[in-house]
Amino acid sequence: FRFKDSLAEELQSADLVISHAGAGSCLETLEKGKPLIVVINDKLMDNHQLELAKQLHRDGYVLYCNCSTLVETVQSMNLSALKPFPPGQPEKFASFLDKVFGL
Amino acid sequence: TGGHTTEILRLLSCLSESYSPRHYVLADSDKMSEAKIRSFEQKRAETFSKSQFSLDRIPRSREVRQSWISSVVTTLYSILYSFPLTYKRKPDLILCNGPGTCVPVCLSAFLLGLLRIKRTIIVYVESICRVETLSLSGKILYYFSDYFIVQWPDLKKKYPKSVYLGRIV
Repeated sequence: FRFKDSLAEELQSADLVISHAGAGSCLETLEKGKPLIVVINDKLMDNHQLELAKQLHRDGYVLYCNCSTLVETVQSMNLSALKPFPPGQPEKFASFLDKVFGL
Repeated sequence: TGGHTTEILRLLSCLSESYSPRHYVLADSDKMSEAKIRSFEQKRAETFSKSQFSLDRIPRSREVRQSWISSVVTTLYSILYSFPLTYKRKPDLILCNGPGTCVPVCLSAFLLGLLRIKRTIIVYVESICRVETLSLSGKILYYFSDYFIVQWPDLKKKYPKSVYLGRIV
């Protein structure tokens, strides 16, 4: 398919996700608790996209490769080594703002 | 735009109804955000019946990778456009998370503050995507915001005036 509004359905039924380094894709996948391999596109590279993928990899949440190493990554992957991704905490933001406004 | 909208709606998700009415400002070229916002507000109205919001559009300040010089021109144009809007709304709080669209609105509010017309609190939350470096909007608004929130510790080290609350989206 080309563009869908939401990949939520596909994500729900997937066992493994291989994705580009877009933040939305990475985070949505991790939040659904699916194992993720992030593929960095060397040509279309947007350096800032790379920052999040690298950090997520450093923290042990995702696997990481480029187009040419994808096959060997999939062949040798150990998905159980990936850590579960804890959700963000918007409630901390709400508390912070409430303090700013004295609420 | 897409990712920014998703993030900001998550930031809003835990806010009480004291933060109302909410005025959303979007770039004129943004097609997807309006639907997300309406859906968020609709759900919110199910819990908080008096919930109010509005949507305004301004010309987009800068396209991705637009050159420096033309960006200055288009941003100035966006400021001219957003100043009357900000003046009309006179917000107590501006919450933004980084799309170019937020810069003219924040600068307008800052200006209104300088002119003693309205003192708006500007809270900038840098996107979760920004781990080591700030976005261009962030680099600018670091100096104009009242509270500058980052979501990764490296940024807190680099920008000591920022606030670090961990991952909040």
